[in-house]
Amino acid sequence: MTADREQIRSLDDPEVMVQTPATIYDAIPPLTPRTEREAEFYELGDGEMFVNLGPQHPSTHGVLRVVLKIDGEKIVDLDPVMGYLHRGVEKICEYGDWHHAISNTDPLEYAASMFSEALPVLSAERLLDLEVPRRADYIRVLAWELNRISSHALFIGWLALDLGGLTPILYGFAERDEIVEMLAALTGQKLLFNYMRIGGVNGDVNHEFLSRLGDWMGRAAVRINDQATLMNENEIFVNRTKGLGVVDREMALQYHMSGPPLRATGVPYDVRRAHPYSVYPELEFDIPVRTDGDSYARYLLHIDEIKQSLRIIDQVLHQMPDGPVMAKLPRLLRIPPNRAFAAIESPRGQYAAYAVSDGSDQPFRFRIHDPSFFNLQAVGPLTRGELLADIMAIMASLDPIMGGIDK
Amino acid sequence: MLATLDHRLGDRIVAPAEVMGDTIELVVRPRDLTDVMRTLRDDGDLRFELMADLCGVDTGLTMQVVYHLWSPLSSDWVRVIADGLSRDDPRVPSMVHLWPGAEWAEREAYDMFGIEFEGNRDLRRIYMPPDYLSFPLRKDFALADDASRGTGAGIRHQEHPIAPAEVRAQPVIRTSAGAGAMLGPDGESLAVSAGANPEPAAVESGEEPA
Repeated sequence: MTADREQIRSLDDPEVMVQTPATIYDAIPPLTPRTEREAEFYELGDGEMFVNLGPQHPSTHGVLRVVLKIDGEKIVDLDPVMGYLHRGVEKICEYGDWHHAISNTDPLEYAASMFSEALPVLSAERLLDLEVPRRADYIRVLAWELNRISSHALFIGWLALDLGGLTPILYGFAERDEIVEMLAALTGQKLLFNYMRIGGVNGDVNHEFLSRLGDWMGRAAVRINDQATLMNENEIFVNRTKGLGVVDREMALQYHMSGPPLRATGVPYDVRRAHPYSVYPELEFDIPVRTDGDSYARYLLHIDEIKQSLRIIDQVLHQMPDGPVMAKLPRLLRIPPNRAFAAIESPRGQYAAYAVSDGSDQPFRFRIHDPSFFNLQAVGPLTRGELLADIMAIMASLDPIMGGIDK
Repeated sequence: MLATLDHRLGDRIVAPAEVMGDTIELVVRPRDLTDVMRTLRDDGDLRFELMADLCGVDTGLTMQVVYHLWSPLSSDWVRVIADGLSRDDPRVPSMVHLWPGAEWAEREAYDMFGIEFEGNRDLRRIYMPPDYLSFPLRKDFALADDASRGTGAGIRHQEHPIAPAEVRAQPVIRTSAGAGAMLGPDGESLAVSAGANPEPAAVESGEEPA
């Protein structure tokens, strides 16, 4: 009774009220560093402070948390914290059969899921040494290149958005919407297509798809040029990307970068040419390469790649043969014990899988290599010493997709 | 390319380089790994300077770390398998001093398999929470709802910490000859079976060799 009264009085007592918060904050134990590097990072120098970016910052293109150590406006060091979207896709793949892996890997790269869902398909075909009908191969290339354009269009919009420009994202989405409607006519889905199949694709091209595609092809090149002109000559955009986040050849190779960030440093590594798959050897296209290595070069490279993709689509539409779109396969697919590495050039770089089979109908090990994971790793060395506001510009120019990074 | 690889690497590879589709495969002992990788990267005729992938594999009997490299000189990939890591205490030298970008991939392999990369200064979990105890991609980590693989007798709760001594007592659910394991868990002897594709019968018993 008296204790209650004592407590009530103490709550009214202004001195007690002031003191309580201090005791609450003291109760949190300090973080014990687990590694040498972590101990070094969480040691504050003179005038330095931590700023927490994320976990749901719109500039991080997914759920990423970055702990920044800053001195004034300068970034001293940073520690990305990942795993917010981790679902354990590799483990889930081991527990479903080979066909299930297609829908499990689908949501990894949600801006271009035609590519991530192709991984189990290509690796299973390599393990089986399976010949895919040529028409299916052409339809795949068509779907991939369309998806690449939609993803690149979004990238350009995102990059401008992260730099504070609202207009290009509207153009990007307008472009993407048309392609997505097209692919919806082809696959029935707008985001996670689930279209690739081991031995072919799920269904032939139809009239609606082709009419939408033909309609769009007539104005695509003009639209891309419009979008490029809007950005190329914008002084603020150029100032905030040119000379920023410069990657050189050595660093790109050391950090396993791939895709536009690697090709912007002058290394012509594109899996479509470096290690051809599907019908790419029969198609005529260039691998655009730039040597500046900065954010601006990466952006320009995306524009160049869209143009090459349009070239590929044009050829595919002219060369596509008739025939079946699925190889004949048993429904229960048992793959003899073997291992294979399959890679594909996604809009963000080399999407690869290392698959081991054990003779059952389920993958024994299905390793997924996501290009964004390695490109994001370079954010650390790229942003050290830069200004706080530039981390968005640099990160956006590397185009990470957290769905694939966290798996 | 094969002859060059065999010549340059000599007895540091367990078996002669083998072509599997469009990939050249090399199996090395963990103690030779750093040496082999440096040769592959720096040799003027090889120049495998782009690491296309780094991942861990649990074959059910031993652990492996599998590297894929690409060279601007040839269109082939090279797969380097650091074979024969013991499942109780898998250890392999870190590649961070050759490719600084290996850091996160090694953190991932540590997070998923518990493989210790000696020389990596930041070997902590990357996906799972820091207070997590298990290594989810190991073959003795069974998903709780896995009703399809037998009676459920050997299935533990997911977050049960595994002491190394216990690991041997637990039945390994799956093994595969497809992973190409050639070395025993001591990383030295040609224990599992010779040849690139060991007979499935040799490993289907699900028990570790003594």
